Amino acid sequence: MMSMISDFRSWPVSWKAPLLAAGLLVAISATISQFVLSRLATDQEANLHSLTDAYLDGVSAAVVQPVVRGDVWETFDALDRARVHYAGVAARYVIVETADRRVLAASEPRRFPIRTRVLSTVERQFPTHDGMALNADKGKAWLSRTLKIEGHPIGRVLAEIDIAALLKVRRHVFWTLLTVNGVITLAFSAIAYFALKRMLRPLGTLTSYVERVREGRAEPIPEDDRYKLSAEFRRLFDRFNAMARALNEREELAAHLATREKLAVLGKLASGMAHEVNNPLGGMFNALDTLQRHGANPEVRESTVNLLRRGFGHIRNVVRSTLVIYRSEGSVLGLAPSDLDDLRVLVEPEVARKAVHLEWRNNLDVSTPVAAGSVRQATLNLLLNACAATPSGGKISFASRIEGDSVVVVVADTGPGLAPALADYLTQGADAGVVPADGLGLWIVRRLVVDQGGVIAVSCGPIGTSIRVAWPFRTERLGGYAPAARKELAHVE
Amino acid sequence: MSALLGRSSWERDAAMAGAQAQASRGTPLSASRRTALALLASACLFVAPRRAAASDAAPIRVGLNPLFLDSEIELLSMISGYLTAQLNRPVQLVRRRTYQEITALLLSGQLDAAWVCDDPYVQHEDQLALLATPVYNGMPLYQTYVIVNENSPARTFDDLAGTIHAFSDPDSTSGYLVTRYLLALRHQTPATFFHEFFFTYGHRNVVRAVASELAGSGSIDGYVWDVMRKREPDLIDRTRVVYRSEPLGFPPVVCPKAVSQTETARAIARAFLDMPHDKLGRKLLASLQLDGFVASTPDLYLGTLEKWLVVKAQT
Repeated sequence: MMSMISDFRSWPVSWKAPLLAAGLLVAISATISQFVLSRLATDQEANLHSLTDAYLDGVSAAVVQPVVRGDVWETFDALDRARVHYAGVAARYVIVETADRRVLAASEPRRFPIRTRVLSTVERQFPTHDGMALNADKGKAWLSRTLKIEGHPIGRVLAEIDIAALLKVRRHVFWTLLTVNGVITLAFSAIAYFALKRMLRPLGTLTSYVERVREGRAEPIPEDDRYKLSAEFRRLFDRFNAMARALNEREELAAHLATREKLAVLGKLASGMAHEVNNPLGGMFNALDTLQRHGANPEVRESTVNLLRRGFGHIRNVVRSTLVIYRSEGSVLGLAPSDLDDLRVLVEPEVARKAVHLEWRNNLDVSTPVAAGSVRQATLNLLLNACAATPSGGKISFASRIEGDSVVVVVADTGPGLAPALADYLTQGADAGVVPADGLGLWIVRRLVVDQGGVIAVSCGPIGTSIRVAWPFRTERLGGYAPAARKELAHVE
Repeated sequence: MSALLGRSSWERDAAMAGAQAQASRGTPLSASRRTALALLASACLFVAPRRAAASDAAPIRVGLNPLFLDSEIELLSMISGYLTAQLNRPVQLVRRRTYQEITALLLSGQLDAAWVCDDPYVQHEDQLALLATPVYNGMPLYQTYVIVNENSPARTFDDLAGTIHAFSDPDSTSGYLVTRYLLALRHQTPATFFHEFFFTYGHRNVVRAVASELAGSGSIDGYVWDVMRKREPDLIDRTRVVYRSEPLGFPPVVCPKAVSQTETARAIARAFLDMPHDKLGRKLLASLQLDGFVASTPDLYLGTLEKWLVVKAQT
């Protein structure tokens, strides 16, 4: 039962409403029928009481004097005439008793002979006092009336009444009500069902279009489906169509933004790669000039060629890592002190061009287990950014050392100071809520450091900025993205 | 005089006849008595036209026993219409529930004539005069029947012992006297012979009582039973005759003997006797299923008288 109720609750309104209307009609019909039948039964009983009272009044008046005289024939004759005069009362038999409870006369003399006593089985059916006892199952009623003269009882009238006709009328009314109400209820239920179903048809249309939205297609309801709509549904459809249009516009905007973002990322990737390739080029051209001028000197030539080889190796690594969608190379574990000193040579052309002073303190004296390429690339970016930020005559300082199980590089400048948003980005990444629109070097630095599990600290004073990066020693070969790097990439995509 | 005027027509006629008889006998009268009689005669002569006029307007009262048919309004209307036409005077039919009441009215002079049962006639033969007797099946005779319900096992009168018996009227020959006579011959009375008995005050009622088994047996006029067999066969078929008496004189039309020679009495007798010669009379006879009326003598009722005497002797 409960499941049926819950099932019913889950039925569509377009079914429930018509069924509910039909059910209500049936309930109303049943209630009215019950009321009518109840009223009929009450009225019939009241009418029966009135009728039998009148009957007993008439019979009593007719027989009271014959009873006083003990006149058998007059009593019988009165009963016989009452049979005709009270045709409305279907008396099965009437008995007139004298005061000693013996039959004076009865309408059925053969069954109730004169001067005999009424059988107790028969007498038991009659009420002990004046009134009526009714048995609907047997379709009979039993009446009793005491005959009195000047208040003294002189006898009694007993009558058995056939009420089958009344019950037949009641049954007839019941079946008529059942049939007529049934037919009318079915007809009205069908009308209510189809009318409500038709009225709720727009709801089905709306539901189907809402379902399409869930499937990703926000289609406005065409005008053909809005023919002959009520005002409420027309407003509902209008609002749905407005919502569908708004959804479509938002989707288009989102797609446009995604394209733009993709293009921006591609541009950033391309410019990043160009930036990384371009970084060592200045130093390498300088080395070529040195080679051209002092190539005869074997030592100079040897060192210059080595420098060029490392520079090209750097470019090769940049291109390779880009080919694998910026995958950390991970193949080179071991940072030699010379790897950092090479950076001095690479930034010197830029230092000279900006006419700034470079202070170099490479305290790394042994090879350390960190990704050399990442350290070099990140540090080079920091040095070039420092050159760019420092005005002419300013100072740039580089320091490297081993602190515990990390390699620490500190790059400081005397520039105007890193913007707080950029500083936050460097230290917290995308969590800072700011993605640098420019400063591609910083973006690359963060990715390189985070991917190696390094930590960046920025301190900005009134003049200048100091960026400290610590790379922890790695004991295993790196594979895949580090978690932070993966998160960063996901954000960009 | 006013007393005379207040009396019925036959009483007035009797007074006149008595006066005339006295005068014709020529009884010597004293002067004062003659004077008084002369005055009386003068007064009578003086009021005679007025009395005649009053007689024309005063209805003739004819009593009818509930002899045969109850509630036959049309029949009563026919009798009244016929007598009125024949007597050229309004006729008032007087009916009562019992024979005794009609007899009392007749004997007390409140009726000019009455169609009574033969039993009251023989009881009061000295006071009543026969005017006419009906002819039934060619004879002024009828029989008494004792009937039972069709389902009754009784075959003879003696089989009726212990039954509930329905009589018609205590003054009815067929409805009481004959049965009472049969019981007297057996040294029985209704109370000793029957289990119960009651009076229905109508022969048709006796049939109804027996047919409905209110009574197990009943005493009835044979003429009534025969007529009802044709008119109400469904009712009669529920009864069966177990005893038929010898023929007895048919209930007669009588008048007080004192007025039997008056014009009114003779006119009434003539009206009954001439019934077959009148259209309405024939229709009336056909309805009554009688052949006509004849003048009869008291000898016709000797059989009834004998039975009454036997019963009277027992009581």
